[in-house]
Formats: sequence, structure tokens, C-alpha cells
Amino acid sequence: MSAAAAVQEQKVEKNYLNADHTIASWLLTKDHKRIAVLYLISVTFFFFIGSIAAGLVRLELTSSQGLMLTSEAYNKMFSAHGVVMIFFFLIPAVPATLGNFILPIMLGARDLAFPRLNLLSWYLYVFAGILAAIALATGGFDAGWTFYTPLSSLYSNTQITMALSAAFIAGFSSIFTGLNFIVTVHKMRAPGMTWFRMPLMIWSTYATSVIIILGTPVVAITLFLVILERWLGIGIFSPEIGGDPVLFQHMFWFYSHPAVYIMVLPAMGVVSELMAAFSKRPVFGYHFVAFSSLAIAGLGFLVWGHHMFVSSQSVYLSVVFSFITFLVAIPSAIKTFNWTFTMFKGHVEFKTPMIYGLAFMGLFLIGGLTGLFLASLDTDVHLTGTYFIVAHFHYVMVGSATIAFMGGLHYWWPKMFGRMYSEFWGRISAITIFAGFNFTFFPQFIVGYLGMPRRYHYYFFEPGWEVYNIMSTMGATILAIGFAMPAFYLTASLLKGKKAPQNPWGAKGLEWEKAASPPVTHNFSEPVVVTEPAYNYPTLDEWPEDDAGVEAALAPQGGKG
Amino acid sequence: MASQFPQHGHHITPTKVLGWNLFWLLILMASTVLLARVFHFLPTFPANMAALGIAVTKAYLVINIFMGVKFSTKLTKMYAIGGFVWFMLIFGILVDYATRSWEPVPGWEKTPSSSIPRVPGIKE
Amino acid sequence: MSEHAAHNEGGDVVYAQYETIEQQQESYVVGMWSFLVTEIMFFGGLFMVYSLYRWKYVDVWSKMSTELDWRWGGLNTTILLISSFFVAMAVQKAQKRETKAQINYLWLTVLCALGFLCVKYVEYQAKFHHGLWPDALYTAPHIIPHGEEGYSRIFMSLYFAMTGLHGAHVAIGIIVITTLIFMTKAKAPSVSDFVPTEMVGLYWHFVDLVWIFLYPLFYLIPK
Repeated sequence: MSAAAAVQEQKVEKNYLNADHTIASWLLTKDHKRIAVLYLISVTFFFFIGSIAAGLVRLELTSSQGLMLTSEAYNKMFSAHGVVMIFFFLIPAVPATLGNFILPIMLGARDLAFPRLNLLSWYLYVFAGILAAIALATGGFDAGWTFYTPLSSLYSNTQITMALSAAFIAGFSSIFTGLNFIVTVHKMRAPGMTWFRMPLMIWSTYATSVIIILGTPVVAITLFLVILERWLGIGIFSPEIGGDPVLFQHMFWFYSHPAVYIMVLPAMGVVSELMAAFSKRPVFGYHFVAFSSLAIAGLGFLVWGHHMFVSSQSVYLSVVFSFITFLVAIPSAIKTFNWTFTMFKGHVEFKTPMIYGLAFMGLFLIGGLTGLFLASLDTDVHLTGTYFIVAHFHYVMVGSATIAFMGGLHYWWPKMFGRMYSEFWGRISAITIFAGFNFTFFPQFIVGYLGMPRRYHYYFFEPGWEVYNIMSTMGATILAIGFAMPAFYLTASLLKGKKAPQNPWGAKGLEWEKAASPPVTHNFSEPVVVTEPAYNYPTLDEWPEDDAGVEAALAPQGGKG
Repeated sequence: MASQFPQHGHHITPTKVLGWNLFWLLILMASTVLLARVFHFLPTFPANMAALGIAVTKAYLVINIFMGVKFSTKLTKMYAIGGFVWFMLIFGILVDYATRSWEPVPGWEKTPSSSIPRVPGIKE
Repeated sequence: MSEHAAHNEGGDVVYAQYETIEQQQESYVVGMWSFLVTEIMFFGGLFMVYSLYRWKYVDVWSKMSTELDWRWGGLNTTILLISSFFVAMAVQKAQKRETKAQINYLWLTVLCALGFLCVKYVEYQAKFHHGLWPDALYTAPHIIPHGEEGYSRIFMSLYFAMTGLHGAHVAIGIIVITTLIFMTKAKAPSVSDFVPTEMVGLYWHFVDLVWIFLYPLFYLIPK
């Protein structure tokens, strides 16, 4: 390093992180990047809480007699795990954290359309989180994350009302985020940023936002009716006066099935970015991937009844739902095929984010295909309510959504904080998570197929299942170690990590080519004009022939941090 | 991003249009009350349809004139239509209740052969 | 972000994330429409529940409908339709920058909204008096046949849930419109152009829209 460069290193440049140092400047910030950091801290906290509950569930199941929890404590544990992980980790994880940070920068905008609303949505989220934490601390709740009536409305004596209120408020937090994203995508694009020049992350975040604003209010009113039923005695789902508890399931899944796509669509957006950036190839079939996001969002609204095949739903409607559920496989398969073809003849680098991206592809494939087993009317009768379904949705929610979140976090970490993390530990942890995840959940497919019901805290009637459960718990331990590692090396990178160059991956995109690492408060030092399509990587003919030339082309660009 | 409004060219709805809109809304309101509570000449089904039809017409007037969708951008129209379509989608839940009574179809009450316990050792 | 906001030649405040006042105004309107779509879906769930139970228990519901007084309901519909006209006029005056007339029309809207809530209070009071609050102590009216009291309780549950939620929207509307009036009077920079009034107007029309459907659905069920 030359002396001049060293001097330049010492001169501290203004960016969004060091623009102001007071606590008030963080808690009252309207900067989307700072709000994303606030979200990152809070979702990590809730991920930790949810993981503890998951750990206790796994520990309990190591013995066929049940290890240490009472039935009621066990019910509260899996309910806490479900509510915290879904409403407080998975739904905000990718959109509100990574999306909040990256969406305006990718569009070439200075901020989201409504910065104050963005801050409000974080406060609503925190308020809801505190309510959920109080509900847990004052006795917990035992109706699962689905809150099925009449258990939740007439029978349960636990803190259901508070848990429902927490989910209700968290819903409004995500509605405001979704609304903000939609307006930003429609109105805040930089000059030259046409719809078909937008990175695919934006397309999938946009599709997610559409689901959020159309679906979340329906679950909000549903949960609100249950709150009224518990609080004021108004009975709409109570069978004793002629109400229909199955109606609750209909309304709940009308949102909560699309909510699965709220979790997985932005994750797919992240993977599109990863595949292009670490193969140095444009995403194969850009338009197909973009429209498949919208197709998934649309079809996702027409399949809610596949959660209700065994709950007195009309068989004729079940047939229709089963058919449409099969249709969802088409846009999902389009995406998977196109990501694979993106790597074809690319210069694939197995950096940490790419390892997560590849893990996503494999796990999403398993998660998606086992979904088809459950979408078939007859196999579902055998598999529903067993560990098979637990394994299926963990492959989609952890194996796909969470792993893509980790990949995206590592990919944009240098941009967010201006520091490089340890690549060695990053790879170790990614591989540990992948191995631990499969070790945890693959045995559950087998034990579920053998008939082990979910939500039971003992299975003394079939001690043979113990071996699978012990395997699963061992896997969960490995998974926990894998998730603990980033907590250490990412924190270490903040303290003494190497300064990140502007474009450490040599990737295309406004966030790498035009914004510093970390960006300044209004994202760009000079106005952005977009002149080229997304993922404008060199064509195959333009690549250098010899290895040295390729290495030079792949080197990080923009030396200054 | 090109603006969809010309410079300060937003539409201003004249008072006359708004006033007439209110007039028609009140007329429709009066007619729905008269149909339902004063003159009972319609049987149930047409009466329901009339009440719903009048409500939809009133909603159309409010959305188009008062909310200004008629004079607005394509995007706003898309929102109005999209909101309506998704609103109708929730009613898809009712299909379940409508088709439940279709079962069982004739023949279902016969005992399927597979429900008779199999005796080991006897060839079928 | 007022420290970064700039004024354009018309004196309107343009916030830092926007390039022009047009972009800002369009964003606000699109944002409001997105919010209204969520509101439609929010009430949509209730309307679906309503349809299901009315269809299942049509006779009881037709009888229960006569328990509600269509004259009070009709009065409220008229009040809301007129208030919708007032708020539309307020938007028009704001566009013409006639602030005084705009504030007067907004006050008229608030007045209508208060009148609506008063009528609702009288109605609710009567229902409580007759023991029609749908909790465990609910007593069905005599006209309901024995064994079907529960169905009439669902009617009252939905009546209170839907009109109550609508009433909450009216109350929020009063707060928002009053705030807008005082901010306009104080010449607050964030309400310097007509768009905040238009957004409030859109919200108020939506409240009107919900009532347009609630009125025939609850008060005017044919025999």
C-alpha cells in the first residue's frame, strides 16, 4: 500500500453510519439504511428467542417418554417457537432488513417514499415484539401459531389475547413496509430505471409487498374477531351458537398461505442476485424469473384450502385447491431451472454467499417437491399432521428463507458496514448450517412417513421413533453451532475487519457500482442515471481466454472503501 | 421517471358535478329504503338484488366522482379494480359451503371392498 | 426530514427523497390508494363472514333486521353522503388554494361525523337496554323461534363488530380532519399543498363507502 493510500485510509469519510453518533439519531432516524440495521438487531434477537424454544422442543423429544416438560409446557414451547419465528423473524427478515437496506439503492433513489412510515413500522414491530415477550413471560400461550378456534377462543386459559394482539400489530408493521415498497417501486425509480432494468430482487420484493397489502388485513380482521370473542364474548366462530370454527381456518389461511410466499419470495430475489454475482453471468431468462414472482404471488392467493383437506372442507373445492397447488410448482420450477442455467458456463466462485445460494437451491428443491406430496389429496390424508409436514415446511422456511437471508446478509454485509468478514469462517459456518439442517430435518421426513404425529410431547407407544428424534436433536445442535458462528465472526468484522472496497465481489448493480461502502446518508454522491440492463456482465465471447485474464476480471473493483 | 400529470395539471372537479353526484346518491338512498321498508312488492330474491344493485351503484358514484377515479391516472384505476377483484376473491371461501351439500354422491354409501378385513391365508 | 426539505417555486415543500413536487404528490396518492386496498381487504373479511351467516340463517336474520331502526340508519346514511360531498368540496377548494372555504368545508365534515356518532350512540344505547349485546347474557327477542337464539346472537355479534369497526374509523376520521384543520390554520409546511386534504378525503369517502353497504345489509333485509 502506498503512502498516499495510507493517508487516504486515515481520513474518515462521511457515511450513513458515522453521520451522527447519538442514540436519538438512531432511534429517530428516517434513513432506510439505519432502520434496516435496527431491524437486523431486532430480528436477530427474536431469532435467538425462537431458537431457545425450538431447542427445548427438540430436547423434550429425545426420549419417547418425554424428557422434562409437562404437556402444557410443551404446547407453550412449540407455540412460542412458531409465533416468534414466523411473525417476528421470518416475515420481517428478508423484506424489512435486507429489502429496506437495498431496495432504494437498487432503484437509484435517495430513500423510500415514506421514511417516517418506515420508522413507524419498526416501532410497531418492536411494540408487538414486546407484547409477545410479555405474553411469554406471563405464562405463555398454547394454541400453536395458527390459533385454531375453538381452542383459542373458547378453551385456552393462557395468554392468547396478548399473543393475538402482538400478531395483529406486527401485521400492521408489515403492511406499512409493503405499502412503502410498492410506492417506492412505482414512483421513485432513477431516470433510466425501467421496469425491465430492475434487479430481480426488486421484482420479488414488489410481489411480496403486493401479497402483504392484500393478505395481511384479512388475517388482521380474523385475529381481531378472535380477540373480540375472548374479550367481549362476541361469538362468531363459536359452534355453540351456530358459528363455524372452520371459517376461522379459511380466513386464517387466506392470508397465512400467501404469508409463506411473503417469507420465500424475497429469499428467491436474494438468490437471483447471488447466482448472477457469483457466476458473473446475467440471470438466465430475466423476464421469466420476474413474471414467475408475480405468478407465485397471484397463485399463492388461490391455494389456501390445501391446509384444510382433512377439516370438513368440501371435497370438490379440495380438488380445485389441489390442482392449483400443483400449478404453483411451475413458476417455482422456472426459477430453479433459470438459476441453474445462470451458472452454466459462468465463472462460479464458491464464496460464502454463493455457498448459501447453492444450499438454498438444493433445500428448496426438496422442500418444494415434498410439498407436492402434501398437495395430493390422498397422500395428504396419510401425511397431514405428521412430522413429514413439519420437515416440509422447515425445508421451505429454514432451508430456503433463512438460508437465503444468511446468504443475502453475507453478500451485502460489506455494503452495510464497510467491513469484510472472515471468508474462512463464513464458509465453515455455511457448510455447518447446511449439514446441521439436513441432519435435523431429513430424519423427520422418515419418522413422519412412519406416522409420528406433530405436537405430541411423547411417543411411548412407538419407541422405535426415538432413533430418528435423537438424530434430529443432534442435527439441531450442529445447526445451533452453525448459526452461532456468524454472531462471532460478523461482530468481529465490525470491530477489526478489513475495510471493504466499494465492489468486493466485482458484481454489477447500482449498489456496487455507484454507492460507496457503506453508502452516504442519501445513498449516492451524484445523481444516478441508469443506462444498461440489470446484470450486464460480459458475454461469453468477451471473457479473457487465459486464466490470468479471468482472474484480473474477477478481482474486486473500486479500491477505495 | 416521467410524471403522469402535466405540470400542476391535476384535475379539479367542478362543484356542479359534485352537487349532482350527491343528488343522485340521495335519490338512490331514498329508493333503497322505499323498496325495502315501504313498498313490499318485490319478492325476496329480486329485493335482495335490488338492494345490492343500488348499493353497488352508489359505491360506483362515490368511487368515480367523489374519489376522482374517473379523472385519475391508470395506476389509480388499477388500484380501484385490483381492490375490487381481491375483495371478491375472499368470497371464494363461500364456494366451500356451497359445495359441501353435494356430497355424498349416489353410490358412496355402499361399503367399499377394501374396508372388509382381509383374512390371511385366503387367496382373493 | 424537514432540514433537508426544499421549497419549489410554488412554495410547496418537497422532501429530500423526492426530485419534484409532482413525484411527491403522486407518491402520496398511490400510497393512500394502497392503504385503501388494505382497508378494503380488512372489511372484506367481515363482509364475507356476514354473507355466510346471512345465507345460512336467512329467516332469523330477516327477523333480526327489524330490531334495528331503519330510520336512524337512514338518517346516518344521509349524513355520511352529505359529509362525503363536503369533503370533496374541501379538496376542490384546497386545489384552488381557497384556504378559508377549505377549512369551512372540513369543519362541516367534522360536524356531520359527530352527528353520525351521536345517532350511533342512541342506537347502541337502545340495543344495550334491550339486552341485545351478544355476550353470554344475551337475550334473544321474542320474535326469534326457540332453538335459533344463537343465530340471532351471531347477527348482533356481526352488527356490533362491523358498525363498531366502522364507527372507530369515523372517530379516527374526526381526529385526522381536525388535525388537518389546525395544521392548515397554522400554515404547517407539511400541509402546504392540496395532497394531504385529498388523502384525508379519500379516507373519508372510503368510510362512506363501507356504510353504503352496511346500511342495506343490516337495516333493510327483506322478508
